Amino acid sequence: MPIVQPGKRPAKRFEKSRLLGGKIAKGRRNVNAELNVVSMVDMMTMLVIFLLQQFSATGEVLFMQKDIKLPDAQHGQAIEVAPVVAISSAQVVVTGQKVADVADLERDGSFSIAALEERLRDEKKRWDFIHQNDPDKDKNWKGDVNIQADVKVPFRIVKRVMYSANQAGYFNVNFATLDQGNIQAFSQAKPSAK
Amino acid sequence: MAGGGIPEQGGSSRGRKKKALDAVINVVPAIDLLSCAIAFLLFTAVWTQISRLQAQSQGSGLPQTAEQQKQLQVTLSLTEKGMQLTTSAGAAIDLPSLGRSPDGGPVYDVKSLAEKLKQLKTEYPDQSAITVAVDDAVPYADLVRAIDTCVGAGLAGIAVSATG
Repeated sequence: MPIVQPGKRPAKRFEKSRLLGGKIAKGRRNVNAELNVVSMVDMMTMLVIFLLQQFSATGEVLFMQKDIKLPDAQHGQAIEVAPVVAISSAQVVVTGQKVADVADLERDGSFSIAALEERLRDEKKRWDFIHQNDPDKDKNWKGDVNIQADVKVPFRIVKRVMYSANQAGYFNVNFATLDQGNIQAFSQAKPSAK
Repeated sequence: MAGGGIPEQGGSSRGRKKKALDAVINVVPAIDLLSCAIAFLLFTAVWTQISRLQAQSQGSGLPQTAEQQKQLQVTLSLTEKGMQLTTSAGAAIDLPSLGRSPDGGPVYDVKSLAEKLKQLKTEYPDQSAITVAVDDAVPYADLVRAIDTCVGAGLAGIAVSATG
């Protein structure tokens, strides 16, 4: 429904009247305005293309955390779905659940982290249950675990996490990094495009 | 938006009424579709590109293949003093640290390491395995940088172990 300009207008019965309708209708302009939507469609198309490039079918496996700053790497591979062990300067967390304090680990002399091992064993049991009908279950088991540690975490903590993961059956360690490869390729491609 | 109509061909159609060639395309469904796509993609977009560097823990219990046993044993040690690259062929290359970072840790000579690893790769093109032995105090960032350099040089079969 168009926006109607305020003012005098004839009643419906006078609209076609030569005497009244014509007089009142005199000088009336069409108030329907056409909007140029071409530029808006262009912008939306560009936005869709940009967002499609950012789209990831696997979703976010690792979430950036405030207390964990990841190191940069140029030759990383795409991340895969696997249990995530996040090590900050204060605590060790497995898929969202805290399993140990770093300060306790520093004091404790043992090599394995019992709570972490138990949690990872549970994860493996879950995987086994999901794949119980898979005839190639043992072949398909890759034993991947993602370790997301802060840049300053010393190797003595990472080592213990790796050992515990190994004890639970996770022998393939994926160290999480911020991918600089794509960013560099983009910055190198940019000047040549000009 | 209505401009650009092509004039009708031929001047013989004097009496006939000219047919309008301008067509109005209804873009409303297109805008609806694009709006839905934008909303969906905004929700599912991954803004931080996180990658992974794959490594195996040394002594994982996995049996070594015959091919792995034949290969040269290359070990890269990361210590407080710097890096040391050793091979089972008897080579030992010391790469001392370049100094100390503001937080007190050593600054490793990653450029020299990359060059040495490239040399090694040209000498042994089939070599892909390397063991990275790391000191307890070495931070995660330096471990990742060392692994990244190894992968960049073509040595992607990385095993991580503790020194000593």
